[in-house]
Amino acid sequence: MTYAVTASVADLDRARAVALDLSGWGRDFRFYQPRNLAFWGYLLLVTTGAMSFGSQLAREYNAYAPAIVLAVTLFAIYGSFFWWFTVRVDRYAKLPAKLMVVAFLWGGFAATWSLAVNGNSALLALYAKGFGQAWALDWGAALSAPFIEEPAKGIGLLLLIALAPRHVRTAFDGLILGAFIGLGFQIIEDVAYAMTSAGSQFGSNQVGASLATIVLRMVSGVGAHICYSAIFCAGLVYLLGRPAEPRRIVRGLLLMVTAMVLHGAWDSLPALAGLTPLATLGVLVGLIVAALVVVSWVYRMTVKRERDFLRDVMVPEEARRVITADELGAMTGGRKARKAHRKAGRGRRERKRARYVLNAAYDLAGVLAAARGADTDQVRFARAEVGRIRAGLPSPV
Amino acid sequence: MTQDVSPRFEPPDGWVPADQRWFGLDRRTIAPTLTVFAVALAMSVVLPLIDDTIPYRDVVRAGDVIELRGDVTFVPDAGWGITSGVRAGHGPASGGYPDRATVVNEDTTFTVRTATFHGDADALLNQIEETADALNRGRGIHVVGEHTTIVTDQGKQGATARITGPRRNGIIAAFVFDGRGVEAQATEGSEVGQEPAAAVLRMIRSISSGEQGER
Repeated sequence: MTYAVTASVADLDRARAVALDLSGWGRDFRFYQPRNLAFWGYLLLVTTGAMSFGSQLAREYNAYAPAIVLAVTLFAIYGSFFWWFTVRVDRYAKLPAKLMVVAFLWGGFAATWSLAVNGNSALLALYAKGFGQAWALDWGAALSAPFIEEPAKGIGLLLLIALAPRHVRTAFDGLILGAFIGLGFQIIEDVAYAMTSAGSQFGSNQVGASLATIVLRMVSGVGAHICYSAIFCAGLVYLLGRPAEPRRIVRGLLLMVTAMVLHGAWDSLPALAGLTPLATLGVLVGLIVAALVVVSWVYRMTVKRERDFLRDVMVPEEARRVITADELGAMTGGRKARKAHRKAGRGRRERKRARYVLNAAYDLAGVLAAARGADTDQVRFARAEVGRIRAGLPSPV
Repeated sequence: MTQDVSPRFEPPDGWVPADQRWFGLDRRTIAPTLTVFAVALAMSVVLPLIDDTIPYRDVVRAGDVIELRGDVTFVPDAGWGITSGVRAGHGPASGGYPDRATVVNEDTTFTVRTATFHGDADALLNQIEETADALNRGRGIHVVGEHTTIVTDQGKQGATARITGPRRNGIIAAFVFDGRGVEAQATEGSEVGQEPAAAVLRMIRSISSGEQGER
């Protein structure tokens, strides 16, 4: 009997090793890879974009300093919230933080200032020449931004895959990295919009003029670039296929087109809603809700594989009685499952402890992933922490 | 509690297998990077080049009126080309006219822009001058000489001044219509001191606000 149990745990450990290998979870990411052409491509386009944005910022700072300081401060706070939220969403087989920074910088500088700004201007001018100025005002942005900005952001993921092929393994990874690319794009674009607004009243009332833009961009940004890029990049991973994500061409293309349609609809807001404030508000809210619904659906579709990886990593811990079956279910479930697990405790103290145990179990999963499943000192300590918190003992440090 | 699974050795990121090297580079990274460069080239070089080769063909006909936000209008001279802005009565479906319009004729560019402004025409011209100087740090187009008065056909009094910059000179005019500022700027690659063309002065004087104009 003892032999059978031991054999079973060994099998589970092997399954864990396979899951860690396949998911890339816990691996370190090194950005500096001089023998990787993607590294040089990334560096060239991000540096060019950053210099272009930096020179504009420096030029306009002389005229619009108060508005720029306000915009940068508010969007830094706003961006921090979305950064925190996206990191929190990536709670299962986590990506390295360094990779998220690399994605953010691509969206912020390369996609915007090296690529989209040139392509958008040229395409808008071509539409005006071909179909007239009024038509271009109505539909130009809607028919340029999705075709320029989504690919500009999306090709960043191609470079990230080439830079980190052992980390970007699932459509969920694409979703998370896409969200960071979109976040970078949105924050830098928002600052640029605020600068434009600062000069919109001949440079007078620059704070008032830019504040209106900042508020509008913050509200509308909830369902904008972050969502579009997340959807687009999840689709790109399906289109390309990855070791842990079989290629699904139709699904990939559908997601990419959906992101572009949502983006196009957003940019045609004035033409769709007209000048009526109520209609504008209605269409605006409708588009934000639509983007959030789609991105939630894509999240649910892609997260399953990540939860399976987490389950494979933590099942041996259940077999070793480090965590219970309920805790395993809560860890690998959604928000509702975690909440139900916490609520099952009797009394406030027990409920709080259930939450702490789950957090310690997530820590253990992370340490196990970093150790590639080996029984290291850190792993033993993390296991002991789960037990200590469950027993209600004080922290050793 | 013993585990028979020990972590497999993994080389660090950046390690290139011997059979994947091409002049020291990881050949697997070439195709995705070239794809990215191709997209970047298409967006940053090819599209702008195509745009540059195609001229604007929207030419002003006699009687055309350009409308901007806030019911601001001006009458461009026939034969000039419209590079931005729309004719009155032919605005976008959203109903919101743009806040800027530009017409060009050979080397001369005439731009009108409008926005909220509280103050008189002189204050607006000062504001424009101050902002331009701050942005350009004296290296771009800037106002030279004193402000003088200009009166539109509608009878609205505005302020005007000569402007000069790298290889371009011209005239700037400012008007304020009930809290709405209007800036008109004409530049051409001519020598300093040359008087503005009659067409430019005609277009400046045609600026009005709140009138229906010829539609």
